[in-house]
Amino acid sequence: MTLDCTIDGKGLSLSVNSNKPLLLILTDDVGNKSLNSNCQGHNCGNCIVLVNNVAVLSCLVPAFRLKDTNIQTFEGFAKTRQCRDIERAYQTLGNMPCPNCYASKTLIIESILQNLTGDHHEGKQVTMPLRARTRIPNSTQEFDEKNVIKELSLNTCQCMDTSEMLQIVELALTYRRRKNVRRS
Amino acid sequence: MYEDLRSATVHAPSTITEYASIVSRFPDAQNWAGGTYLMSRPGFYPNEGSLDIIDLSGISELQKITRTDRFVEIGAMVNAAQMLDAGRLILPAVLLDALKSIGSSIVRRQVTIGGSLCIPDVRLSLSTALSVLDSLAEVKVYQKDGKCTTRWIPVYRLYDKEGKLLNFEGKMLITRIRIGLEYGNFQRFMQASDPVRNMEEAVILAFQADRTPNALGKVRLCITCPHKVFFISKEIISQLSGITLPIVPKMVRYITSNLRSELKKSYTNISDLQLERALRMFESILHELDTIYLQS
Repeated sequence: MTLDCTIDGKGLSLSVNSNKPLLLILTDDVGNKSLNSNCQGHNCGNCIVLVNNVAVLSCLVPAFRLKDTNIQTFEGFAKTRQCRDIERAYQTLGNMPCPNCYASKTLIIESILQNLTGDHHEGKQVTMPLRARTRIPNSTQEFDEKNVIKELSLNTCQCMDTSEMLQIVELALTYRRRKNVRRS
Repeated sequence: MYEDLRSATVHAPSTITEYASIVSRFPDAQNWAGGTYLMSRPGFYPNEGSLDIIDLSGISELQKITRTDRFVEIGAMVNAAQMLDAGRLILPAVLLDALKSIGSSIVRRQVTIGGSLCIPDVRLSLSTALSVLDSLAEVKVYQKDGKCTTRWIPVYRLYDKEGKLLNFEGKMLITRIRIGLEYGNFQRFMQASDPVRNMEEAVILAFQADRTPNALGKVRLCITCPHKVFFISKEIISQLSGITLPIVPKMVRYITSNLRSELKKSYTNISDLQLERALRMFESILHELDTIYLQS
């Protein structure tokens, strides 16, 4: 099938098998180097990308559900303002994930921040996982440690302990909220 | 690398009628709900498997949640995150806990209720919780001659004692799940280990009962170990139904030892760790019932 989509800001038309996982499309066809997952769908959490600004496990999304989507890998996300909030938190606390899981943990944190702030910088609405996407509340949510820990546990890399990650999320959330207040 | 591989044809029906017509032309086509199970199977890609896929995400009938006075009906393509989001006020606690136990919100957005019930060989939290709620699944079976039969089947009857999905003669499609709203006032959902990452150690237990001041009624219990155990025991349920509260320690030990022997007898492959976990979870529920009784 021909897959028309935007990957990291570039409009691409790719000829791929319809059931090929997005992870393989990104690594084999596009040559993306920020993804390093080998779990084949067993939730190692190392293959997270944003599809229409919603975080998904790219090993669980087939090509036929990606028509006309906007895909952002960590390579693309690293150039955005949103990423700077998280990187600032890393720098301030002097702690960051290892190179193996840096990309996916940063995108998981971004997904948590989006949920907590209702800050959902829009892309085009699409079918699953796009259709599967839930209503993101408009109002800001409470910082619930239990939920945040659960979200963070998606990535199985043990390079940082939970309390360090929680601090990073909390600080990044403060930066994001400040930015949102300034903008509004 | 995959040049010789033929690309699967994807059919995207927008109604059940269209689905039926596709099934009659391509009876071997594979239904595709969320895809989390299919894509996590070893050797999913590349392979020479099914060359026709029916993508169910376009069928709007499968994406509705309807509530009446007596029940809630959930379309098979509703995902776990949507259920959690929409169902805070209308879904039973045991189901909400089961939904929360499914990984993170990133995974929940991809897991559909119908897909989860149709996994052929692994039983996870949703099927366990729906089984204790006596929920019904609307199952459509499409024969090769084009005939279609529709039946409402209790979720727990979809599986054998090891949790494998029973074979239907024809192409099976779950369209809706109906959950009655007359459930018990005491519900618990417990899970030890992640059933996706650690199948050999995970245990899932769901329990519900109607707790009157002095006794238990309408007891339902389901214990699941992915791959090997899907346990609903009429004997244990009948021992607990009508039991007077508080349940004395001697009785707790008696029922637990019955549960142990039943589990051991029915499942020779259950590991010691899983057996102990199941028993401790069960015991803790009985102790909790006692605690609530003594506090009231």
